[in-house]
Formats: sequence, structure tokens, C-alpha cells
Amino acid sequence: MKIDIIDYESCSAAGVNLSALRTSLKQHKSGLIKNNLPGSDLDTWIGLVEQINGVDDLGQWQSRNNALAALGYEQGTIRHTVSALISKYGAARIGLVMGSSTSSIDRTEEAYTKLNSDNGLTEAFKQPFVHNPHAPALFAAHLSGIKGPSLTINTACSSSAKVFATGARWLETGIVDAVLVGGVDTLCLSVLHGFNSLQLLSPNPCKPFDQHRDGINLGEASGFAVLQRAGENNNGRGITLAGYGESSDAHHMSHPHPDGLGARLSMTQALKRAALSPESVDYINLHGTSSRANDLIEGKLISELFPASVRCSSTKAWMGHTLGAAGITEAIIAMDTLHTNVIPGSKNLETLDEALDFSIKATDEEKVCQHVMTNSFGFGGNNCTLLFSRAE
Amino acid sequence: MQTKALKCKIAGTGAWGSYFENWSALQALLGGADLPEAKLKSPKPGIIPANERRRAPLPVKLAVESSWQATQDAGVEPNTLTCVFVSGLGDTDLTDYMCKTLASEHKELSPTKFHNSVHNAPAGYWTISTGTMSAANSVAGYEESVSLTILEAMIQCETENVPMLLTFYDAPVADILTPVLPNQETFAFSLVIYPHDADVEGKVLTAMVNQQEDASWPALNADSTYLTEMYAQNPAAKVLCVAELLNQPDGQITIPLSSGTSLTLACEG
Repeated sequence: MKIDIIDYESCSAAGVNLSALRTSLKQHKSGLIKNNLPGSDLDTWIGLVEQINGVDDLGQWQSRNNALAALGYEQGTIRHTVSALISKYGAARIGLVMGSSTSSIDRTEEAYTKLNSDNGLTEAFKQPFVHNPHAPALFAAHLSGIKGPSLTINTACSSSAKVFATGARWLETGIVDAVLVGGVDTLCLSVLHGFNSLQLLSPNPCKPFDQHRDGINLGEASGFAVLQRAGENNNGRGITLAGYGESSDAHHMSHPHPDGLGARLSMTQALKRAALSPESVDYINLHGTSSRANDLIEGKLISELFPASVRCSSTKAWMGHTLGAAGITEAIIAMDTLHTNVIPGSKNLETLDEALDFSIKATDEEKVCQHVMTNSFGFGGNNCTLLFSRAE
Repeated sequence: MQTKALKCKIAGTGAWGSYFENWSALQALLGGADLPEAKLKSPKPGIIPANERRRAPLPVKLAVESSWQATQDAGVEPNTLTCVFVSGLGDTDLTDYMCKTLASEHKELSPTKFHNSVHNAPAGYWTISTGTMSAANSVAGYEESVSLTILEAMIQCETENVPMLLTFYDAPVADILTPVLPNQETFAFSLVIYPHDADVEGKVLTAMVNQQEDASWPALNADSTYLTEMYAQNPAAKVLCVAELLNQPDGQITIPLSSGTSLTLACEG
């Protein structure tokens, strides 16, 4: 079944909304800055969304993660689109699927720095709806007024790619008439110090697929998209979800499979579901974290599976690796090329890894694409690939 | 487009808790048997290699043990199943460890504890231990974790025509977080389901989404303080009402799904 993407919006260090993101992409202007997150002195670069600090009126819902979700939801026409769907179909006929890896652990971290003299939570932090992994969808349901099934997917860095697959299946069975899918993850000490413990952070702006890359930069983002069964509404965006693939590495909790077997499976599944051949794909937005292992394995796999005519890039040098929000952030960058007719270059790439040979360039390419793909791989060996096409 | 009923066959069941080591022991408790004297601390799932098992957190061991039992009960190769794992609370011991460390002067985290802290750690350990390369989802639904997971898995089973493993687990909550998340019980439960027309033995489960704003969880039939309290406080243990449904010849329950919907489950055979 074809699924229309009725609307989408993105919020990250590369732009507080889609329009600002398009400008940053066009100007090759990165949002990465030297780490200045309060409480962390790690020598790395981060993709911080400064405007989050202005969202401080969420009451019992307050957390940095929820503030970023609220900021993202006010951008563009997303709120308007969802409200119109609620009026048309009823709130219970709209579904909600959010992806996140940190949920609102930023708030739990803060609570632990402000415990009372008995080592207990202080009143402001007694927030059951915030200190649990479902916090992103609980809050998004509150924000949007959606009353249909609301699920949070927490599969680390593939979370908000998988929301598209779940949303599509919900629509296929008819339990809802539209689905708001989203992803949100904020910078916090857990992820900065966690990735530091794995020796994966770079002290420099990241350089995905470059011979001299030396690690990742973390970022924060929120993003939303509205899905409906094709043909049931006016698809102003002209984009469909043509296919998806989901797989497991069955290899290691934090290292990718050395031959990328799981990643291969998710890409081939997505092509099969969309009934497309590899050469018909115009652009692939790669996972491309800038870690030594990921980029080597993913790059080799691309050259095995796709001909040199398929243009590829990693866009993580614009806003960093936004973890559970990376899936939807990069899905939006990929699908938006169907609107802008510009394939973004692989920012910060100077010398391609000597072990790799595939079609990746630092410069943009003007092209009217028909089919675009994006990869998201997460801890636990959790993989997801999405394929978007120009609507017929 | 109208909602149609979802259908699947239940081919296997697994369970683990402080007072039951498998599904038949849980069935006995549901039927009124006395609690055993000894309280169990943790399962020891043999499928996780011993050196990995020592470092595996309790939620991982709970989920993997219960999942393994369900696949054995169904007589199916574990690596042929697509999976959905759910916990309403996550691993609060690791949340507690990370937040305490990060609130201190020395913020160095253990890399193993960090990668084990992801919500999909049980799905990761399961797929690694069993060699499963199909999709493994890991979801959260707070108080509606059970109903959302049954819906998600039955939809995937039907639309992709694949057999599925569903595993529900929640462990006791770390002290500091108990004022907001009170659960103190250990619980895991798993089901193996097949498309309803598959050539396997099993009861047929039907699910229907209804528009309903005020649905509440049905009272358990079991007369047991232990089970009733766990059912109230442990989000994964809300599946006990589904366990009771499966334990009867025929029956039907309606459970909350979201603020505007409920899920009616009917079981035959």
C-alpha cells in the first residue's frame, strides 16, 4: 500500500524549521559548535538548538526533550495540518508514533542534581509522565490533541525511522485515518558521557566517510511528518513512502556487523517492498555517523549494492548525530530533495576513505529525483531503511 | 476506511516472576494455588552465553528467559520470529546509575552499562543470542504498554504475514524514582503468534479497536493479593488479564488503548 506524506517539519541546529534547514543546506552552513552544554567539559562539537531554552512553561511536562518537541511542533504547518485532520476524522481516528532514545532522561539527570536532604525527588520533579520511556508520545498526544493509539519506539538511533514503518502498517489495517509520526532527542549528559565512554566522540567537526575522520558529534533535533493512505487527501507535498526495511544485526550491542549483513537486509527489503531496482534510486542519505567502523561498513555495502549512478551523502556535519531523532531528520532531508531538486553534498568530506569507492561528493548536485532512500542504524544492531518516491 | 478485526493464533506462551518460573506455574497461581515460600531473584536464561549473562541487567534476563520459553512452547526456531519487546518503565537501575554518576564530580560512565541502558537492550541480547536477523522492535506505552504492544504485533503479523514474538517485562524501580513509578515486582510474559490461517495449533485471538474515552482495566478473576498488586503497579503485568483470557475456553475483555480508544480481545478454541 502506498502512503502519502501530507506534511513534514524539522527542527535542529541546522535550522529551527524546514525553511531554515533548506537555507543552511544550500549555504553549506553547519550548526555545529564547540561543546558548551552546562555540566560537561568534554572536548567535542555539538549540534545545539538554542531556542529550546525559551520553552519553559510546560509545567508538569517540563523537560528539555519535551521543550524541543513543543518547539518543533510549532514550526511550519504541522499543527494546522493535524488539527484539520482531527476536525475531519475525529481525534480517536488519528494515530501517533514517536521515536526517541533518551525520552526525557535529561529531566531525570536534573532531578538527581536537586535531590532533597533525604535523597528524594523534590516536588518540581515528581513527574510520572516525564520520567518514563513513553514520555515523547504522552507529551505529543497532549500537545496535538490526538486521542488514537499513541506509541513510542525506542530502538536507539533507528527509532524515528521505524515510526514510518509502524505508521504505514497502522494505516494499512485501517485502525486510523492519519498518523502523526515524529522523533525527538535532546543533548544531555547521559549521551555525551556515554558516547565518550565508548571513545566515539570527535574533538573536531565530524567528517563522515573522510579518510581522516575521527569520530562523531552529537546533536539534538525534533521532526514530524503526517501520513495518510495514498489518494485519501490532497497530497500537497507530492511525496509517498514507497518502502521500508527493518532488520537486526544479531552481532553486538554497540558494534555494527563487520560485513553489514543486517544493514544489507534492511536496504534490500526496502527496495523489494517498493518494487524498485537499486539503479532506480537517485539519492541515498547515509547513516554516515563519521565513526571509523560505521562509515567503512556502510560505504562498502553501498558500493556492493548500488551502481555508481546513485548519488550518496551524509548530512550529519550540519547538525550532528541526533540519535533517536536522526531517522526522521534525515528522512526529511532525503524526501525534501524531491521538492528542492538539489541533492545535498556530503559536508566536510575532503578525501574519501581509501578503502571506499562509491558515488559520494562534497558538492551539491541539481537533479530532479524520483526515488530517494535513507539509512538509520542503532545500538543493539537495529537497522531501518526508508524509501520515498515522487507521487504519481 | 473502516476498522476490521485483527486475527492471529497463539502458538506459545512464556512467563517469569518472583513466584513463578514458567507459564504453568503462573497458571496455577491464577487458578488459586498458594504462593511458593521462596521468592526468586532473577532467571538465568541459558541461551545468553555465561560471560554475557553475568553482565546482563535484570530486565534483559527477564525478557530473554520468557521469550525463550514461549518459543520452546511453540516449538519454533527463535530466529524465524519478528519481535516486539515492551517495557513501561525501562531499566530504572541503569537510569539511576547514570544519573547518580552524572550528578557527581566524576562523570565517567561504564561503556557496558551505557550500551545496556538503551531501551532495546533486551531486543539486542535476544537477537544476538538467537541469531535473529529479522526486525526487532522495542516500544514503550507506560500504562497502555500491553494493549499497544498487542495491537502493534497483531498488525505486523497480519500486514507482513509473519510469525511474531511479543515480550512484556518490567523490573522493580530504583528507590529514588519510586515516588513517581511505584512498581516493586518482577514480571515477564511472552507470546508467539502466527497469522490466523497458519497451519499451527493454537487458540484464535481477535482484536478490535473501539472509540471509547473511559475504558479501564478489568478486575482480575484471580483472588491473590500478590497478583492484584502487581497487576496495578507493574505496567507489563497488565497482560495478566490477557493471560486469564487465554486460560479460559472462550471469552472477551476490553482494555484501555489510548485516551480515545479501547481494544476488545476475544479468544476462541
